[in-house]
Amino acid sequence: MLESIVSYGLAVGAVYALIGITYNVMFTASRVFSFTAGMLGMLGGVLGALFIDRMGMPAIVGLLLVLACGAVIGVITEIVAVRPVLRSIEQHLYVLSTLAFALLVAQFTAIEWGTDASPFPRLIPIDEGLLDQKFWIPMLACAATVLGLEFLYRRTLIGRAFLAIAEDSYAARALGLPEVRLRLASFALAGVIGALAGFAGGEMLLAFFGNQSILNFYGFVPVALGGMGNNRGAVVGGLLLGLFQQAANFLVGGIFASVAVFAVFIVVLLLRPEGFAGASGARRV
Amino acid sequence: MSVTRRKVLAGSAAGAASLASGLASPAIAANEPLRIGFLPALTGPSSSTGVAMNRGTELAVKEINDAGGINGRKIELIVRDTQSDATKAVNAIAELTHRQKVHVVWGPLNSGETLAATPLCARDGIPMIQPCWVDTLIDVKKYPMAFRNAPTNMQIGNAANHYVMDVLKKKKVAVIGDNAGYATATVAAYVPLLKEKGATIAYQGNVDAANPDLKPELLRMRDAGAEAIMPWSVNAGFLARILNARGAMGWDVPVVGQTTLGSGQTKALLEKPENWEKVYSNNFKNCCYDGSGKLPEKAAAFREKLAKLKIDMSDTLLWWIAVGYDAPTLIAETVKAAGDTPKGITGYWNKLTNWGGIYASLTFTPEQHNGLPDAEVVMCQANSLKDGAFNIAPGYGA
Repeated sequence: MLESIVSYGLAVGAVYALIGITYNVMFTASRVFSFTAGMLGMLGGVLGALFIDRMGMPAIVGLLLVLACGAVIGVITEIVAVRPVLRSIEQHLYVLSTLAFALLVAQFTAIEWGTDASPFPRLIPIDEGLLDQKFWIPMLACAATVLGLEFLYRRTLIGRAFLAIAEDSYAARALGLPEVRLRLASFALAGVIGALAGFAGGEMLLAFFGNQSILNFYGFVPVALGGMGNNRGAVVGGLLLGLFQQAANFLVGGIFASVAVFAVFIVVLLLRPEGFAGASGARRV
Repeated sequence: MSVTRRKVLAGSAAGAASLASGLASPAIAANEPLRIGFLPALTGPSSSTGVAMNRGTELAVKEINDAGGINGRKIELIVRDTQSDATKAVNAIAELTHRQKVHVVWGPLNSGETLAATPLCARDGIPMIQPCWVDTLIDVKKYPMAFRNAPTNMQIGNAANHYVMDVLKKKKVAVIGDNAGYATATVAAYVPLLKEKGATIAYQGNVDAANPDLKPELLRMRDAGAEAIMPWSVNAGFLARILNARGAMGWDVPVVGQTTLGSGQTKALLEKPENWEKVYSNNFKNCCYDGSGKLPEKAAAFREKLAKLKIDMSDTLLWWIAVGYDAPTLIAETVKAAGDTPKGITGYWNKLTNWGGIYASLTFTPEQHNGLPDAEVVMCQANSLKDGAFNIAPGYGA
């Protein structure tokens, strides 16, 4: 039982963490909470199955194409659902526009791909060892993403520009940083990470259009737990969520496992609305 | 001879009377085609059934028309694709009954659409026959002109329960569904039936359909001593996860349940082909291979005909095509015997006894518009699909 809780819990948690990071990358660059993160995860699984299983491409080519598609969809999200409404005064407008875009893509996927779950290919042709690839691939993808983002944000100029925009977009613009292009790049990056989440978790979650709503919600939980814009918090929150969810599956079972997750989520938010790792923001008066 | 106003009026009155009399109306009716309004979902997410039934329906109508029609009257099949959408089905019903003036409606073929369409058909007084399983679709008081040529959900549940308890002799049962509407309602409805038959419910639960790991649930079932698993879901991913978890645990327990257990989508999601062993899904006796691998006579001849006509069966099920074929055949026989009026059609169906179709032998009474006999709903071996039909599950006898 413990083995199953740890292996499944960490693997699913890693996918949730990646979706949480996807939310964060879009949020930090634009202050837009885009509900397209789950959609990107869903597409990662569906496109992976399409390229590798149905079109017979090698896994590595399939992965690269999925990531490229994720980047393109991220850019389209920014152009179609964020930019036109970003200047609107009411903040909820862009939340709704991203949600609408995500639903549109989900419906299109349902029509073109089908509403049934489809198999996702085994990515590496090896036998099941102590820990099957469907568990360690998401963990590896999560670790690589976190390290990559740390490198990007701390060691590269463009990463520092992202941080500058995230800290204070007005000041960054005043210094001559191209805010729009940086926002576009951050949505492309988020697209890559979201698609990677779905691709890496495909062997567990299958290629299924219905994964969108699940990933949208369960990917949001680590963001709320870890604090908005805090990637390390999202990783810790995601892994804890996966472990807790799987433990609840064993200990409580049925739909009560979901109820247990929601109950803990609500309690945590009541106790610490800013999340475990988030800091209370000062309000400008 | 002088023509007086009185004579003209008398002659006109006689002419009008003869036109309105019973002699004139068959003459007109004989010239016009019999209009059948057909409502399959040919596109959209729930279209696989509609596409298959449409093949059978088109074939039957063509055969009847090629043979001269019904007493010389051709059948005009007016098809409206509901696109798997209840709203479109409602609009189509309104158009078929009001503008097209159909004599009878066949369909819709999905429950959600039929739930919306049946009251409209009842309001307009048009006889309808439909193959959907939701029990409440048939109510002789509310919808006296609606008939069903397929099983009810209760018949499906009873057939599975019968197989588990009376054929496999398993008394401790685990009943599981996902958290969708169909599954929750079905689990809640079938568990009392099992208890009535004396079963012990070792496990009862509804689980999130997207839960990737169902091993905890299966461990709970095994620990509770379950001797059979009965999953009720139309979600192939959910069903395949149950079968994969059972296989990974090395648990040799029979799985008996919904038709989707035997679908190609479920097969595609299995980690190993062995995970499909000892899995039994709902099916119909008249369209299953018997113990010696033969189809019943009518179904065998029908399949041969389909093969000769090169009607595609590779992507579908024989019983779906057979249901589609039976409906217009029954309608044609009805109109031939009782005319095309709503009263005539309904009256004929209300007395229909053991009408032998390819898919089913139907019996209706004024009090019972569910036509399929219980004995024709059986279980089949989920992994035995060949040319659109399955092997009947072991234990039914000859």
